[in-house]
Amino acid sequence: MSLSAYVPIVWLLALAAAFGLFSVGIAPFVGPRRFNRAKLEAYECGIEPTPQPIGGGRFPVKFYLTAMLFIIFDIEIIFLYPWAVSFDMLGVFGFFEMVIFIITVAIAYAYVWRRGGLEWD
Amino acid sequence: MDKLKLPDMDYVALLPMLALFVAACLGVIIEALVPRRFRNIIQLVLSIVALAVAMFFVVKQSGEVVASKALTAGGAIMIDHAALFLQGALIVLGFVALLLFGERSLEFGGPFVAQAAVTVGSERDREQTGRELGSTETFPLALFSLSGMLLFVSANDLLTMFVALEVFSLPLYLLCALARRKRLLSQESALKYFLLGAYASAFFLFGVAMVYGFAKAVDFKAIHAEALLGEGNSLLLIIGLALLAIGLLFKVAAAPFHVWTPDVYQGAPTPVTAFMASCTKVAAFGGLLRVLYVGFDGLGWQFTPVLGAIAALTVLVGSILAVTQTDLKRLLAYSSVANAGYILIGVIAGQQLGLTSVLFYLVAYGFTVIAAFALISLVRDADGEATHLSRWAGLGARSPLYAGIFTFILLAFAGIPLTSGFIAKLSVFGAAIDGGQTWLVIIGVITSIILAFPYLRVVVMMWLSEPGESTPSVSIPGGLTSTALGIGTLATLVFGVVPGPLLDLAEKASSFVR
Amino acid sequence: MNPTLADFGHDNGWIVALKVVGVFVFLVVMTLFTIWYERKVVARMQVRPGPNRHGPFGLLQSLADGLKLAFKEDIMPLKADRVVFFLAPVISTVCAFTAFAIIPFGPFVSIFGQKTPLQLTDIPVAVLLVLACSGLGIYGIVLSGWASGSTYPLLGGLRSSAQMISYEVAMGLSIVAVFMMAGTMSTSEIVNAQAKGGQGELFGFEFTYPGWYVLLLLPSFVIYAISAVGETNRAPFDLPEAESELVGGFHTEYSSLKFALFFLAEYINMVTVSALATTLFLGGWRAPWPITQLGPWVNQGWWPLLWFTIKLLILLFVFVWLRGTLPRLRYDQFMRFGWKVLIPASLIWILALAGFKTMNNENLPGWQRGLWIGGFAVILLAILLWPRKRPAPKLPLEEEVAQRPEGSFPLPPIDLQVPVSPRAKRITADREPVQ
Repeated sequence: MSLSAYVPIVWLLALAAAFGLFSVGIAPFVGPRRFNRAKLEAYECGIEPTPQPIGGGRFPVKFYLTAMLFIIFDIEIIFLYPWAVSFDMLGVFGFFEMVIFIITVAIAYAYVWRRGGLEWD
Repeated sequence: MDKLKLPDMDYVALLPMLALFVAACLGVIIEALVPRRFRNIIQLVLSIVALAVAMFFVVKQSGEVVASKALTAGGAIMIDHAALFLQGALIVLGFVALLLFGERSLEFGGPFVAQAAVTVGSERDREQTGRELGSTETFPLALFSLSGMLLFVSANDLLTMFVALEVFSLPLYLLCALARRKRLLSQESALKYFLLGAYASAFFLFGVAMVYGFAKAVDFKAIHAEALLGEGNSLLLIIGLALLAIGLLFKVAAAPFHVWTPDVYQGAPTPVTAFMASCTKVAAFGGLLRVLYVGFDGLGWQFTPVLGAIAALTVLVGSILAVTQTDLKRLLAYSSVANAGYILIGVIAGQQLGLTSVLFYLVAYGFTVIAAFALISLVRDADGEATHLSRWAGLGARSPLYAGIFTFILLAFAGIPLTSGFIAKLSVFGAAIDGGQTWLVIIGVITSIILAFPYLRVVVMMWLSEPGESTPSVSIPGGLTSTALGIGTLATLVFGVVPGPLLDLAEKASSFVR
Repeated sequence: MNPTLADFGHDNGWIVALKVVGVFVFLVVMTLFTIWYERKVVARMQVRPGPNRHGPFGLLQSLADGLKLAFKEDIMPLKADRVVFFLAPVISTVCAFTAFAIIPFGPFVSIFGQKTPLQLTDIPVAVLLVLACSGLGIYGIVLSGWASGSTYPLLGGLRSSAQMISYEVAMGLSIVAVFMMAGTMSTSEIVNAQAKGGQGELFGFEFTYPGWYVLLLLPSFVIYAISAVGETNRAPFDLPEAESELVGGFHTEYSSLKFALFFLAEYINMVTVSALATTLFLGGWRAPWPITQLGPWVNQGWWPLLWFTIKLLILLFVFVWLRGTLPRLRYDQFMRFGWKVLIPASLIWILALAGFKTMNNENLPGWQRGLWIGGFAVILLAILLWPRKRPAPKLPLEEEVAQRPEGSFPLPPIDLQVPVSPRAKRITADREPVQ
């Protein structure tokens, strides 16, 4: 298996990028320009926008928690894929290895669940 | 389809690690399912049982080490004499440190905070400092860390070593942030440790990549063979070794990679500091020894001068900066930097004698330092531990027993005869002279004298000053802290008076299997 | 002969170019068509005609809309981070297009005498490419929300990223079963693996049913379908752009062609997940059972493109149908459903399937099978019946109202004073005469 099968993906990516950049780049020139200071303010349904600290300020810690959980499960998935593809070769050993692995992750999952890490309110 | 060929697994040899890992997982389940007020005792018992099981198998295994069978887990793990000695040391020191983790009688709820993420200084924070039971996740975290350390000292290739490094470091970063009092310091220490530790890990990983580029393998045997052969780009090898060494020297807190030590030792909860000062040191030096003695044996003439310079710098920095400290935990941190330097001198000494002295030093120092931190956790006032040096003035009059014990421990750090510190330093210096590193010994002796000054200053303050208004009281320790303190002090005394058995054990253990 | 992994990577340069342009045009046309299709279907569901002015049946409506967008003013908010604001829609678009590179449209065809598979390319980790692209596409959304320098887009972007990563986990887990059955991650071979059906008998008629994984792995398909809707931010999971809460969500501050690119990316993503569902679960480009009776020609040449497109349109119809019928979920319900239902369900299903396959592969005797199944059932029951924390008993309405502090809902205090808005205060202050 050579890498030549990957080349068309790059071409499609390049075409899409060219299209996207072209569209974004041409937009200011095609459209009209009617200056109005209010237009450039952040949109907040007509009321004066609340001032925002640079970089978006602070947001709830829940989002970080979700991101960390995502990483854990994403890594689990990354281990599951090769295992699934070569499942028939691995036999009983492979099955029990994966059972143990999933149980290990499930322990962390149970902990997060019981401690309220999955609640949004 | 073809069946996969399975790697050979000697499960009995891996049992110490597996026992700790399984216990840690069980601990997490306990955290999820058991009501809060029962957790501490259950976790403590579980941890101690796991450590006992692990120790049992380490001892059992130590009688059955055969060079041909030492390699297991598909070549990733090497269970040889040195690995077993280090594992045993880690388990015993970990046990003593975990006793401090479980202490609940000094302060309501124990030394740890309930919720580390609560904003410092908020109403919620004040409430939980005074009234909530501490978190007991510390036990599984410590067990995860310990199992990583056991793997670290027995890893036979650099990748396994890296995984083990992460497994034992990540829980430590978390543990540092869990102090009940002085939350900001604690969080700061955790963040600093995490950031610098992440850099060190990255250095280590770069080093692995470089060495792989040279040897086209990551296991020590192949690296050794390739280095002996002398073909290939040896620049890659040298750079790789340098980067690996940076990663490892960060963990042992050698100068100039020691800057995290005082802040982290000061900010972390005292039991965690004790755990780090003893176990992390053993694990990190175990890893360093294996890398240098097994993987890069043939390069001795190239790295010895550099390591020698680092060792000299470390003892100098540690001892001189210790003189200027006014906080006891920071003082002990710099003292631990200096001690890392002394151990490094033993590492550089080479040969079996050097290895023996290093192993002995690690165990002796581990016990002493745990006892020291156990004692620091006893001296407290309304705001928790009183660690400022001036507060300890006149403690001898308040509580002669504990002041006496602390004096003994400080004398052990200073290396006065009849303590384990004396024997440890003696054996390290002896090995260094034997290995032709006399200049290091001279620096070592000079710095020992410098280092004696801050210790003696504390002793003088404790005994010769009058207790003032601000002199804190010494809490009556609960059973757990007393046990830890007793074990630490007794070990310091016993290894100082009759060092023979431990030295013999260390000598027997001082051989790596390649 | 059906294409396998080894048949890719041998194309001429100009055939590759042709295919790349083909995929690109297919996606753009599908987007234009889907927008019209969606509006038309939703309109019919609401008993109104929908777009019918431009072209036959209003087919050119979305083209007209797209052109109109190009001639709208391009607004760059003052607070925006210019570079990131500029790049975010491009990232979204690029990821959406790239994911389609490995979707198989059909078997070998001849293009100007060259025999080549009707698929841009195929790689050993093809499905992973789709997941990677959808993962990277999140950057487009979260960066656009962050770079806008405005509150609604920021919240929308955060919500959206949290939602997409949550449902990406469920999506990733749901297709593990497919890899387990097919033994590969290459899309063309997954389609081949579904070619062989089984013989069935119904009311005396013998027929061949398709070996589609939707039948063999129904739980996987269900989980995939649900998480695909969550992953594409479509109703009833369109929380990031919940109009009633966040205006337009992450693209509130975008206008003109930049907005059009986000719109394009959203519809392409919809097409991609539908195409992937077709490939992984619905037999790919192969014709369904009754059609296969017509002869072998239905699965040769260019015909499969038709079956593929039809399957795609049916799935897209389901997307629209969902939008037309279901109300939007609340965010906490939505996240709870993803983390507490979909993920454990997929894990248990994977384990059950793996256990079943292992039993078959090892030819275990009957009593051992019983033991395995029994053990599994016991664990499953233990998890399901594990005692939960009981919620506090709900008080009757009167007591609940009585517990509230004075002046709460439903009875406002008698001396209720509405605070004057700071803006109004400022305006009146300006008007006051200077003393």
